[in-house]
Amino acid sequence: MDGVELEVRDGVDRETIETVQAMSGKYKHGWETDVEMDYAPKGLSEDIVRLISAKNEEPQWMLDWRLAAYHRWVKMEEPTWAMVSYPKIDYQDQYYYAKPKSMAVKPKSLDEVDPKLLATYAKLGIPLKEQALLAGVEAPEGERKVAVDAVFDSVSLGTTFKKELAKAGVIFCSISEAVREHPELVKKYIGSVVPPTDNFFATLNSAVFSDGSFVYIPPGVKCPMELSTYFRINAENTGQFERTLIVCDRGAYVSYLEGCTAPKRDIPQLHAAVVEIVILEDAEVKYSTVQNWYPGDENGVGGIYNFVTKRADCREARAKVMWTQVETGSAITWKYPSCILRGDDSQGEFYSIAIANNAQQADTGTKMIHLGKRTKSRIVSKGISAGRAQNTYRGLVSMHPRATDSRNYTQCDSLLIGDKCGAHTVPYIEVKNNSSRVEHEATTSKVDEDQLFYCRSRGMDEEEAVALVVNGFCKDVLQALPMEFAMEAQALVAISLEGSVG
Amino acid sequence: MRAEAKTEALTARTAALTASGSGWLGAARRDAVARLAAMGLPTKRDEYWRYTDPASLTAATPEPAALFDAGDEAPAFDGIDAVKLVFVDGMFDPAQSDDPATAGIEITHLSQAEGVDIHWAREVYGVLEARGQIPVQRPLATLNTAYATQGFLIRATAKAAKPVSFIYHHKSTTSDALLHHCIKMEPGSELTILESGPAAARMTSVMEVEVADGARFHHIRAQGRDHARRAATHVFSRIGAGALFKSFTLTANGCLTRNEQIVELVGNDGVAHVAGAAVGDGTFHHDDTVFMTHEGLRCESRQVFKKVLMNGAVGVFQGKILVKPGAQKTDGYQISQSLLLDGDSQFLAKPELEIYADDVKCSHGSTSGAIDDTALFYLQSRGVPKRVAQSLLVLAFLAEAIGEIEDEAIAEDIRLRLEGWLQRHEH
Amino acid sequence: MLNIKNLHVKLEEEDKVILNGVDLAIGAGEVHAIMGPNGSGKSTLSYVLSGREGYTVTEGSATLEGTELLDMEPEERAAAGLFLAFQYPVEIPGVGNMTFLRTAVNAQRKARGEEELSAGDFLKIVRAKAKTLQIDADMLKRPVNVGFSGGEKKRNEILQMAMLEPRMCILDETDSGLDVDAMKLVAEGVNALRSEGRSFLVITHYQRLLDHIQPDFVHIMAAGRIIKSGGPELALEVENNGYADLLAEAE
Repeated sequence: MDGVELEVRDGVDRETIETVQAMSGKYKHGWETDVEMDYAPKGLSEDIVRLISAKNEEPQWMLDWRLAAYHRWVKMEEPTWAMVSYPKIDYQDQYYYAKPKSMAVKPKSLDEVDPKLLATYAKLGIPLKEQALLAGVEAPEGERKVAVDAVFDSVSLGTTFKKELAKAGVIFCSISEAVREHPELVKKYIGSVVPPTDNFFATLNSAVFSDGSFVYIPPGVKCPMELSTYFRINAENTGQFERTLIVCDRGAYVSYLEGCTAPKRDIPQLHAAVVEIVILEDAEVKYSTVQNWYPGDENGVGGIYNFVTKRADCREARAKVMWTQVETGSAITWKYPSCILRGDDSQGEFYSIAIANNAQQADTGTKMIHLGKRTKSRIVSKGISAGRAQNTYRGLVSMHPRATDSRNYTQCDSLLIGDKCGAHTVPYIEVKNNSSRVEHEATTSKVDEDQLFYCRSRGMDEEEAVALVVNGFCKDVLQALPMEFAMEAQALVAISLEGSVG
Repeated sequence: MRAEAKTEALTARTAALTASGSGWLGAARRDAVARLAAMGLPTKRDEYWRYTDPASLTAATPEPAALFDAGDEAPAFDGIDAVKLVFVDGMFDPAQSDDPATAGIEITHLSQAEGVDIHWAREVYGVLEARGQIPVQRPLATLNTAYATQGFLIRATAKAAKPVSFIYHHKSTTSDALLHHCIKMEPGSELTILESGPAAARMTSVMEVEVADGARFHHIRAQGRDHARRAATHVFSRIGAGALFKSFTLTANGCLTRNEQIVELVGNDGVAHVAGAAVGDGTFHHDDTVFMTHEGLRCESRQVFKKVLMNGAVGVFQGKILVKPGAQKTDGYQISQSLLLDGDSQFLAKPELEIYADDVKCSHGSTSGAIDDTALFYLQSRGVPKRVAQSLLVLAFLAEAIGEIEDEAIAEDIRLRLEGWLQRHEH
Repeated sequence: MLNIKNLHVKLEEEDKVILNGVDLAIGAGEVHAIMGPNGSGKSTLSYVLSGREGYTVTEGSATLEGTELLDMEPEERAAAGLFLAFQYPVEIPGVGNMTFLRTAVNAQRKARGEEELSAGDFLKIVRAKAKTLQIDADMLKRPVNVGFSGGEKKRNEILQMAMLEPRMCILDETDSGLDVDAMKLVAEGVNALRSEGRSFLVITHYQRLLDHIQPDFVHIMAAGRIIKSGGPELALEVENNGYADLLAEAE
């Protein structure tokens, strides 16, 4: 019994080491796919918003919604409170829509998609064939299936396992398709968690989102497989603005994975996404992200500016949500996956690993808004800074007067590798009733020299030793990830820290 | 819009004040007036005032505050042998005070310092305050530097014979006090400063403390029990190599208190501890705002803040540990905790770490909750009446903060005052 | 096997000399013991040999099978066959003991150009070796040394030694903090590893460990030098008379 479990867990770590050894370069997804693209004209205007809406063949109400957001956004100011600094973004010097020419006529199935595009995903290790694989790692027992929605720049190429999912009543498609095919659901829920007025980047997204994924799990259904979306930015000078909407109806369950990569480019690229999750009575959603956008080079040239608004609304009693994120990529990360614990006895969890190396800057964390009675939340954040990077945990725990007998526990640990980087913790704690208990703990320390020496005296080289110790530091979070992701994440932890020692 | 509002508030607030004086002090005041004009006064929309509305502190005139009768409770630090310097509504009263000369250290009232060139004071007055404006502006402190005419300049060159005790009486319901003290601790010196009393209907104070290499400075403060008083206090300190700075504040009652501590550990091996115990019942808004900067090697800092709140009282803690690049081997600790004795009270906290050096050990913790029912039941099951048990648990909760007071007699004085308060506020 | 010549070492951060001309030659298959009072430099010798930072070698050399050790990184020394059983084994939270062992074993195999062990083979070998050291499955699963008792930590060190199959083993005060039963168990583990091609340097303050691990040679160290060498009887002399006489004699 023990042995079996040991082998599996051990396999995860082993994978890390092997992957590290197998990699010679640093960022492994930095190549680009050479395909002909259709671009909307550069810049942002009402016409561009209309054009995106038209390209997606949207109904009038969706266009009106976008335009309202656009007119609001024009009057908004970019927020400056995060501990990140970057040259001013020229919002008129970007493309807001880029679609491979071959996608001009919508393929009926993935089989009809341009082989070049399919090859892109194959090279990334994302299976678009309906087989039991994800991220190039063989699933144990060969039983696990993962459905994938592949988003390439501004469009979704297609979604796997649609039929099998439909049998269970699960809707999994691109958001543009959902707007056309399931308008009643989209209309009811879009903007109900992250309103179009929420913040500068969410409002921008509301105006120009081009694609993304839509998930609906009907009452009482445990989604028969894990769902995932894989985002790839390929086109130059183009922002990606995807929007994801997940609705988990009463008593339903789904585990959702998200991955992202982009080519190496000298010019930064903008990514402003919105993810909304609605969870009804007794339902549960697990949302895992491995964010591996191009981080820029050692000198901070290029990379993705990642401004993301993610929020889950536990709208009814006993709803549960768990966010797990591994943030290793992007030049700038600005991201706070949050939980609104509205239903009584609802629960929110946030597990995060954020690694910033070289010139990367990450400002990330969560908000736990306790509104219902006996609501529970847990935050475990592990930040690692190396090189000249700045890494900030920013979070809010709010206990409303009505949220009696609730509970929060927060653990934020920071690890520093080298004396040129920074690690910061900015928690906000607001407690407005006395039957709730809130505990926040944070520590900052450097990577332990004794541990490194111990590993090295047993034969590991310095980078291997650092990878092992850092993976140990992150264990609590890695364990919260689905197995396949855990392996990829461990490997990423090691790769992201390459060159940080010595 | 905001900038205009800030300037308007400033004009109204300073209409009746003049930055007077000649010589170095006049120059320092005029400099502060200029700095203040660029800042304006704070509003509740400033991030730095997120949890405390500064309106009543920046208003042109203070809200009237009824006088408080402490009954038979002895004044704070009454039993401590100290040089007593008494202020009434923010004005020094020599008649009620001891002769400053008996302290065996240099003590000069601000009004006498104007004409003479006290060379050390010009390097402290308004200087530490100005340094403390980065990265966060503290206009109320600058206002104080510009317009305060009351306060003492104190210089210690050796171990002082006894503590200096500032006693602030409150006699007028509309008094508005501006107090500014400067303290220079020369290398190897040691001094304890005590402060007690409500001071005025509204008090805005600044204490600037320069602790030179190897010097030791202790500060213990008991803010008065007047329910309607308001106060914005600032202690700016700069701590040299191997020097020690310790500050403890007891706050019982008062409708609005904002205590800011701005500490810079500039030398190697310095030690800075700031602590506070606050107890509030009803209309009580208490804000501890601490900014601890580590620049030297191997420095140690501790922030220990505990609040006991009931009947709608609000406790705020904003604390930061900033470790600058190169400040290796820093040991930084921060704890902020509140005990909410009923469902109406609130605790709002923003405990921050900002760290730019790797070989450091920094941690912070923050908790909020009710009295532990199991502990209460355990004590009751052993025959301790509920009220007594509650008091015991509250005092146990506050103990870590009081433990920061080195002098046992002073710590005992503080403990007795807390016990008294708890007895009066049993519920 | 191990040849130490005129080794002088000082602390990196202060001007304090710890080793003051150590000479020691250990042949293949031999077991040497170094005894000495506290502060004589015994543990420093083990750290300097294994490559811990914080020390500066001012003079002398140390070779393992003819190769200079002192220029190598710690992991290179390990791959070359040197093993230090720590006096205070380090705790590494979050890293499974098994993971640690396998990573170490395979890192060394790779460094020597050997094939890595497959998961199955590795598990089999670990299980067998762990059993003889009375290390249960739970200990293998827990994070490295975290929450281990003193005896468990030392047995874990010996398990690592058994897995890594070094040629030169240094045991730094392996008996410290162990009761008699735990010490016997550890000593049995060590004795099982004794072979013609493998040498041991046992550093200890007391003679008692040497009742269980019989040395071929005993050296007395004081003030950073070896002041006397002899056979096992020298250890008994220390046991009976203490260090004082020997120290006086050396003066």
